[in-house]
Amino acid sequence: MAKLSGLFDSFDNLDQIDVNSLITWLKPAPQAVQVENYLANKILYPQTIPMTEEDMKIDLAILREVLRLNGPKNTNPANALLRDNTLLNLTLRKILIPERFLQFVPNLVSLTWAFVDGLLLTRRKEDKFQDLWTIVTVGDMDEIVGSVILPQFSSRNGEMDLDVQGKVYKIRTGALMVVPCGKDRCEVGYKIKNGQVLGKAESALELYGGKLGIMVDGRLV
Amino acid sequence: MKQFVPQRVRVEKDVIVRIARVLSGKGTISVSVNQEVKPSDIIGTSNISSGFRILNLATLLGVNPKDVGKYLKRDLGQRIYKGELLAYKPGGIFGGKKAVIAPTDGLLDFLNPQSGEMKMTVLPKKSDLPAGVFGIIESIDQEKGKVTIIAQASRIYGMFGSGKLRDGILEVLGKRESLVDNSFISPKSEGHILLSGSLIYKNAISESISCGVNGIITGGINAKDYRAMAGGRLSFPKKLENDIGISVVVTEGFGSIPMGLDIDDFLLQYNNRFVSIDGNNRIIDLPSYEESSMARVRSTKLPPIQDGVDLEQINKITELQPGAYVRVVGNSYAGEQGKVLAIDESLTLLPSGLSSMLSTIETKRRKIKVPVVNLEAIEYI
Repeated sequence: MAKLSGLFDSFDNLDQIDVNSLITWLKPAPQAVQVENYLANKILYPQTIPMTEEDMKIDLAILREVLRLNGPKNTNPANALLRDNTLLNLTLRKILIPERFLQFVPNLVSLTWAFVDGLLLTRRKEDKFQDLWTIVTVGDMDEIVGSVILPQFSSRNGEMDLDVQGKVYKIRTGALMVVPCGKDRCEVGYKIKNGQVLGKAESALELYGGKLGIMVDGRLV
Repeated sequence: MKQFVPQRVRVEKDVIVRIARVLSGKGTISVSVNQEVKPSDIIGTSNISSGFRILNLATLLGVNPKDVGKYLKRDLGQRIYKGELLAYKPGGIFGGKKAVIAPTDGLLDFLNPQSGEMKMTVLPKKSDLPAGVFGIIESIDQEKGKVTIIAQASRIYGMFGSGKLRDGILEVLGKRESLVDNSFISPKSEGHILLSGSLIYKNAISESISCGVNGIITGGINAKDYRAMAGGRLSFPKKLENDIGISVVVTEGFGSIPMGLDIDDFLLQYNNRFVSIDGNNRIIDLPSYEESSMARVRSTKLPPIQDGVDLEQINKITELQPGAYVRVVGNSYAGEQGKVLAIDESLTLLPSGLSSMLSTIETKRRKIKVPVVNLEAIEYI
């Protein structure tokens, strides 16, 4: 049977999403029954799109939860080629966003943020290399669109000075910032108070840039 | 640019179908193959074995559970027959009078003073099975007590459902926008198929089972309640059949969604008439109540097999064109139906941040603009 596509076509376990977890992504929190019915209608009519900003927020919350459900499960590197996941390449530190998702969430920042929340919130902190990720949209042509820095702040008073191409940005604990850098390679320097990136409080890096630029997620997890 | 939408058959008018009639217990079938029957003809008789019914008299009388005994009109251990007065509370300053009628023949077994519930042992009784339709007997299965009748019927396809094939007299509970809770359900509805409104609550489903209702047709249902009926999963089409003692067909979706006018208008014509519903296959059959339908039944030598749902046939993709009749399946304006007046030539940026091709729809009450992808074309057969 011919079928029209939707954002969640790639997942067959939407009904296993815990509604209470879904609600935690939504502010103000709607009633559980309302969100559960929305999700069930999404399963019933997968091709539909949100018309309002509120409905888009629910779609993004569903995406976060379904990514979490379908994220990498096998953390034993000995058994893995790409470590068991098509959305996250743990070996190359790449977040792989299907290009067609942009048809349903055109805002690349929101989409990337959903992927970070869904796939990396429970990352292994002891693996310092997981502080940096390259964002790739995958489709007919794969495209690197930017990078994500996940500084490990050790307290609520943490602060990061990020120098991108000579311009300095301040990121405090809990903040999320997207710094534009359209170049293929972006030279970045950082200095962190009460925290570190790649195990260091101060260093310089060369990161992938692109349409997204550099996303810095300073949340304490 | 051409725009495509899913197309679904919701109502099939006057088709020749097989209607299954099943004895409610062990018994005998009294008709033969190729025999013509009319709705009132008795096609079999069975004995319904005894069981029990629980009636919450405290709730029905609106009194404290420990006070229920004061209002009983029969002693415990006594027999009572269907329609007789079981309990009565006279009216007063704080409330009107309330009467509870015995829903079935039985023996008053036990009253729980903590919960106010009365256990009533049902007496074995003889039950006649009427044909319910104008038709011709196609096959008989004596062992299962099942008779298949070829008849003319209109068929409604819901979105999803639960429960095996059941039948009964259609009883309209309210308007298509009604939110139906347990206050709508009474023992008088025993054996009936209830036409609910835009949402049926869990307590109404529980009360219906308790009252012996055979089925419910509703516009919407809460996902949590459906999940409880359907074995915990939400997958469409359903992979496993379920039955919780009642058959439910949902015509629109999850949450409060008024029943579509196409289905509601049709069902209202069948108020107080015999219908059958198959929750697992989400089919509602409305047999013709006109004797003239027999001419078509007789002339249909090899009726098309309509058992089961051919999803390929009822779910298609079609090009959307002005004049088409559509139904909104997206979250905004969910369930609204109307005619396509126009389809935009260019994309519109929506408040959600998405750009989409919009279509202007004229409903009974207003004109709305909806993304084409949130529409479903309705096909009439």
